[in-house]
Amino acid sequence: MALEAKLSHTTAIILQALDAGFVYGFSIMAMTGLPSGTVYPAMRRLERDQLIRSHWERQSIADAEQRPPRKYYKLTHAGKTTLEASRRRYPLLDRLIPSEEARTV
Amino acid sequence: MTPPAESAYRRFHLGLLRGASLMVPRKQRAEWWREWHAELWHVRQECVPIATVSWRAERKVTSFCLGAFQDALCLRRHSWRQEPLATLQGSAAQCIFWLAAALAVTYSIALLLPGVRTEIHPSRYQVNPGLILIQDAHYNNDSPATIPLEEFRIWNGRAQRYFDGLAFYRIGREAVSTGSHSKARWEVAHASSNLFALLGLPVRFASPAAEPDDNLSRVILSDEAWKSEFGGNPRIAGTIVRVGSRQATIVGVAAEGAWRLPGKTDAWLLEPDSEIDSFGMGHVVAHLTPLGQSEMLAAHVPISALNSDDPEHDLWGASLDERTRGPLGLYLFTVLLAFLALPAVTSVSLGEYTFASHKSSWSGRLYRWCFLSAKIMLVLAIAYVSSLDLAYWHATSYSPAAEYVQLVASFTICLFGMKWVLLDQRQRCPVCLRRVTNPARVGLASRTFLAWNGTELICADGHTLLHIPGSPTSWFSTQRWLYLDTSWDFLFAGQGVG
Repeated sequence: MALEAKLSHTTAIILQALDAGFVYGFSIMAMTGLPSGTVYPAMRRLERDQLIRSHWERQSIADAEQRPPRKYYKLTHAGKTTLEASRRRYPLLDRLIPSEEARTV
Repeated sequence: MTPPAESAYRRFHLGLLRGASLMVPRKQRAEWWREWHAELWHVRQECVPIATVSWRAERKVTSFCLGAFQDALCLRRHSWRQEPLATLQGSAAQCIFWLAAALAVTYSIALLLPGVRTEIHPSRYQVNPGLILIQDAHYNNDSPATIPLEEFRIWNGRAQRYFDGLAFYRIGREAVSTGSHSKARWEVAHASSNLFALLGLPVRFASPAAEPDDNLSRVILSDEAWKSEFGGNPRIAGTIVRVGSRQATIVGVAAEGAWRLPGKTDAWLLEPDSEIDSFGMGHVVAHLTPLGQSEMLAAHVPISALNSDDPEHDLWGASLDERTRGPLGLYLFTVLLAFLALPAVTSVSLGEYTFASHKSSWSGRLYRWCFLSAKIMLVLAIAYVSSLDLAYWHATSYSPAAEYVQLVASFTICLFGMKWVLLDQRQRCPVCLRRVTNPARVGLASRTFLAWNGTELICADGHTLLHIPGSPTSWFSTQRWLYLDTSWDFLFAGQGVG
């Protein structure tokens, strides 16, 4: 609970963007309009607090598309819980970045 | 966009990322670089249009790359917070930190000591080359005044082949009074009017308007007297003072630490030679002609004065270079001596790396050498500053005694400092440069011919074991490093094994 209370609006937006399917740094930047100097450090902190976790894309996929592999981020269970709490705190989050389900409907 | 410009931008952006990566803790650097490198590729694909000039797009990519610095800083701060103090124990960073702190402390002390402040500014005591101080040959040191004024007058009256300038001074205690200040007793040097010109000493606050007429003598104040008696008044030139029974005009202030000749004075009363009181002995400064300089031998020149009453008066002239060389020359000499003496107090080997099966990378070797160089430079800097601190703890200006103290202190600190540097380096893990710990005795001295005996130390990060033989043998003469493979990692889990 203490962790949820500390989550800033910017961090909540990043969590929301991740939940909405923007799973790498640059896509979060493009979606939120936040600069790289904000997004990446925030993701480091979120990963440190185990709210998100990262994994590298398989090399074969990247090779097939002739590009370097990307590092993807994903919400953890604790991250989802925190995001739910953040949504209650910042009710406009959902409207700012609609979740993947909402966008597909 | 033209390909060369695009390539230049690409290199520039990669350079920015490379620069930022240096701030990332080493363990995370490779992955951090991989992520930002990949992201940069995608950012370029997204932002920079193909075959078109777009400065705006390049600016956008640049601002993306600048964010890498904030990210790197965030990781660095995080690692500092995470890193317990125990992991810094014995690390290279800790060693450099303590040496730098010691240097800062010694330098701070140096700034508080007026003698050191004077000594470390070489511009303050530059004098003309070719100057000698003439002394009676019966005296071993140049402190006592040994030349009678009458003799000096005789020399000065003759045409000289070896000298093109002579000046006399004699220090005595005089009552000095100024208009507004009470009478005080100063150490006053009664000197030839050409003394400062001959020495080439700088005089501050001198002004042609303040030059006195021919009837008045000229006075140059020492920096100390100027500050204590006149409150450091910059408009001091032209002030009339009474020195003994004479009226004199202050024409300037000698630069702090400029006076390097025997005797401490509060002021110099510059007078024509004929007006200097004949009472007592004094010192004579002379400037050698090229012919005179050719007679110099080891900074000394023997002189025979042919006077009518004492035809065998032997003198010697000592070069003022020794007095005006400053502390750096002496320090460099002691560094040389210390390096020459070093093999007598310790082995100059840095330990045995060649026996190790592990071949260390060039970056690892470079890191080790950089660390060793940094330690040596810091130790030598500490030796220089701390030897000056000790030498000028009580002395406020140059003195032969202070020079001896500097010589001994500098040599001792350099010698034992270098010994420590080598001992310390030998006991640092070649991989992470942390000091190896947990010494354990291995083997028995009585079984030297069956198995090795000595001390075994281990790197706290689990990289290496250090074996130091108890009694060096032909097959195990120096210490050896044993590199631990990854099977040892579980022992060091949680201690930051990379």
